[in-house]
Amino acid sequence: MRAYELMVLIDPEIDERTVEPTLRKYLDAIITDGATVDELEVWGRRRLAYEIQKKNEAVYAVVAFTATPEQSKELDRQLGLNETVMRTKIIRPEDQKITL
Amino acid sequence: MAKAEIRKPKPKPNPLKTAEIDYIDYKDVALLRKFISDRGKIRARRVTGVTVQQQRKIAQAIKNAREMALLPYSGSGR
Repeated sequence: MRAYELMVLIDPEIDERTVEPTLRKYLDAIITDGATVDELEVWGRRRLAYEIQKKNEAVYAVVAFTATPEQSKELDRQLGLNETVMRTKIIRPEDQKITL
Repeated sequence: MAKAEIRKPKPKPNPLKTAEIDYIDYKDVALLRKFISDRGKIRARRVTGVTVQQQRKIAQAIKNAREMALLPYSGSGR
């Protein structure tokens, strides 16, 4: 099991309130056998630094979860198949630690 | 003949140490903005005054932030 952090950019034409249930659905399907969703935060609509798919904004959501590498990979793949998902990124938070 | 004096630039204080930041989050746009120029380019370590290891993490975080459109690839044009 490893700690991961997922960020998703979702099509802004979608209703913001449906974002959380939709994400939950994906997470519940993949995050099983001991894996956990630690935090789910929907940032809401945010301006993009540059245009993506002719759009100037997107709904941002961030999920912290603990799962196996396979589960994490599968989650990323499933999200990529959804047409309302514009972009995804999964990182390992421990890679961002620095020593002073 | 007097030798030309060798200039030793004063080492810059490490901004991360001063601010006691031990986690470079790519979502922290406000922090990352301090390490890019107004053109959007990553500032050199010479300028930022952080360690090699920290600079590498900062650069990676900026690149991650760019991928998620949190930061621009290029600043105002060009």
